[in-house]
Amino acid sequence: MTNTVETIAAAERKIVTFTLGQQVFGIDMKSLIEIREWEEPTPLPSVPAYIRGVTNLRGTVVPVVGLSERLGWQPSVLHARSCILVVKIAGKQAGFLVDEVRDIIPIQESDVQPAPEVEIGEQDVIAGLVQVPTKAHGAAAENDSGTMVLLLDLEALRVTQHLDLAA
Amino acid sequence: MSDELDEIQAIFFEECAEGLAVAEEGLSAMAGGDVSAETIAGVFRAVHSIKGGSGAFGHAALLAFSHRFENVLDEVRAGKIAPTAGVTKALLSAFDILSDHVGAAQGKNDTPDDAAVAAELDRILEAKGAGDAPAPAAEVPAAAPAEPDADEFGFVPVAAEIEFDPFGFEPVGVSLEDLDGGPAAPADWTIRFRPSRAAMANGAEPMLVVRELEELGGRVTAVDCSTLPELRDLDPEEAYLGWTLRVPGNVAEEAVRECFDFVAPDAVIEIERAAAEAQDAEIAPVEADGEAAVVAAAPVAVAAPAREMPERSGETAAQTIRVDLTKLDMLLNLVGELVIRGSILADRLSPRDQERVELPELARLTREIQDNVMSLRAQPIRQAFSRVPRMLRDLSSETGKQIVLETTGEMTEVDKGVIEKIGDPLTHMIRNAVDHGIESAAERAAAGKPAEGTIRLSAEQKGARIFIRVADDGKGIDRERVRAKAVEKGIISADAVLSNEEIDQLICAPGFSTAATISNISGRGVGMDVVRSNVEALGGRVEIQSVPGEGTTFTMALPLTLAILDGMIVRFADQRFVLPLPNVIEAVRPEPGQVQPMTPTTEVIELRGAYLPVKRLSEMFGLAANDRRSAEDSLVIIVESEAGSVGLMVDTIDDRREVVIKSLDENLHPIRGIGGATILGDGSIALILDVDALLAGANLGNTKYAHKGIAA
Repeated sequence: MTNTVETIAAAERKIVTFTLGQQVFGIDMKSLIEIREWEEPTPLPSVPAYIRGVTNLRGTVVPVVGLSERLGWQPSVLHARSCILVVKIAGKQAGFLVDEVRDIIPIQESDVQPAPEVEIGEQDVIAGLVQVPTKAHGAAAENDSGTMVLLLDLEALRVTQHLDLAA
Repeated sequence: MSDELDEIQAIFFEECAEGLAVAEEGLSAMAGGDVSAETIAGVFRAVHSIKGGSGAFGHAALLAFSHRFENVLDEVRAGKIAPTAGVTKALLSAFDILSDHVGAAQGKNDTPDDAAVAAELDRILEAKGAGDAPAPAAEVPAAAPAEPDADEFGFVPVAAEIEFDPFGFEPVGVSLEDLDGGPAAPADWTIRFRPSRAAMANGAEPMLVVRELEELGGRVTAVDCSTLPELRDLDPEEAYLGWTLRVPGNVAEEAVRECFDFVAPDAVIEIERAAAEAQDAEIAPVEADGEAAVVAAAPVAVAAPAREMPERSGETAAQTIRVDLTKLDMLLNLVGELVIRGSILADRLSPRDQERVELPELARLTREIQDNVMSLRAQPIRQAFSRVPRMLRDLSSETGKQIVLETTGEMTEVDKGVIEKIGDPLTHMIRNAVDHGIESAAERAAAGKPAEGTIRLSAEQKGARIFIRVADDGKGIDRERVRAKAVEKGIISADAVLSNEEIDQLICAPGFSTAATISNISGRGVGMDVVRSNVEALGGRVEIQSVPGEGTTFTMALPLTLAILDGMIVRFADQRFVLPLPNVIEAVRPEPGQVQPMTPTTEVIELRGAYLPVKRLSEMFGLAANDRRSAEDSLVIIVESEAGSVGLMVDTIDDRREVVIKSLDENLHPIRGIGGATILGDGSIALILDVDALLAGANLGNTKYAHKGIAA
């Protein structure tokens, strides 16, 4: 019994979930540096449209990326709960504009399903799909089948590398 | 684990580099006739510390060679080998081999063939006894000679040498008075040793140290266990014990010290001659608490002066600490953030509230902290100068020219980043001075000059700039030849009218070299153009002054720091940008008709009869392109770039100030035309314009510019 618990613990990881439009996404907690209120960044010349600009993160100049645009969805509409997830990818920092941060949840590695092969522009950006219990606003939610969370592979997003090519 | 070892190894190599620099400086001084005890001891200590570490990391070849080198230096230091020109020369060759050995240990080059030099060192070592046959080295403690006798070089063996230890703890000197009583039987050493927690964590093994001391004839006289806690409080990683040992007085201090070579610096290590009267009292064997109390009191006092840096050639010793640059940068960032938060606070508080919360005082303190953090990155420029003497020696032997080096202002402090980057330009300037400036001895004699050429290397700070000069007393620039060469290379046209200064500047043109034959020294396909481009990349400029027959002076004018830029804050497309002030010539508020279209997409401004191209920055950046202001509502800033003078159209000028440069590519990638970013007082970001890149980019494909670019 103890053994099983340990095995589970080893395969468990925490993700932070957030929404872009109607979709729920998740990224690994380990990449997250902080969550910040939306603040208009300083626009940059000659960069792809999804780079909203740069912002000052405690003295460091960090690019702010419209994650929705980056993934090919409609650009995010700014509202009161819009915020920036500051993450570290391959040694570089970047801020992602998201609609709303939802939760931090533990998931089991075994529960992650590979993303079905569909015709997407970029491979591997979606690292997998996982189902999490829908937030229980009432007892009725218990029988719900849960919410699909799209796990993003930040490395594969290669925001900064992508930019290098674009430049 | 191996990572940790690598890290320690990296520190060792860093120390090696420092040691080599010190040794090189000392040896150069010796070659220049300075054979003072201080200089020689400096070289010895440097080599000794390299030896110390090389053993620990198992660099056998380096250890063997540095040991041999050290032996000779030790004898020179002790006055048993005279530092003659021949000996100094051998030491210099040994230094070269030592550098190569260090490089080999780092995997930078192959293990050098040291046989010849090693043999030479051995020969010197053996030959030394021929004359005055002193007592065998082992029998003579380094601190012993009762009558220090000056030899022909004025070198007085110093009785109580303050020994530099590779691990930086401050030894306790022995005063001469102690020895007066009976030099025949030096007082025994009393050694107190208490490893620190850090020493234990680094794997120091106290028992090995004690055993080593016992092998020297020492014995433990007391064990201090006063700090030993109750068993349940025992932390297995903590060091609780201290030892007091007595070692016979005829053992050399250095031998005692070597036992501690691998104990971390913050451990308490106290080595002193026991005072005669104390000798009996302390010799009592291991006692319980009474003895322990005495010992326990001592370490506190001794620990304080630890980590003092060795005095180098007379400058006052300062306590220093090695800090990772990234940590300094982080600190700089944090302070910058503090400054910004301070000004946000100032914006939000009324003047009266500001006084009430002592905001001005806070702001002053914050500024002061910022200045201090900046100054932490400052280093004396001697680091860059230290390789010059060696280089001159090589150049001297290659060209057969005799050169004297005079250095001034080497303590001038500059940002570390600048020091790292001026190495190459400096090398080129020195090579140039030797190769093209200074004449051969025969030519000099014919011109009535001393046979030895002089190169003056100087640094001075004026305002926010540092001026580094390389001046030679050679023949000056041969303007006829330079001009002819420039015409031949197509850099200028045959009928061009150039001032003397303009001709001098030609030697910095790309692809220009006046060396009639490609020599070993300058024939590397690069020349003064590299100097100019490197210096300009640092935001500096090169000036040349030359007087025929009297010599040439190259001056590099550089910013003190690469982190700060003097800028003009301009505004366009509702955004603020920083224009580097060195690029700015003037700002013009155009009169109606002064700015006119030349083609549908280009405009020119008429300025005192000349027409300059005008660029609308907002359009170049694709920002707010539909909002086309009239020229009369704008300002035209005339900037100078490699592409010539150009007018840049902006909305307004906000301010002029020094800004801290933040890199964009740290988290993003470089953007053409943007040199970086800065954080303004309100926490917002302003992009710094890279005028040269901006205009070069705009002119890309323009053949006229491309041609001019080559000629520039």
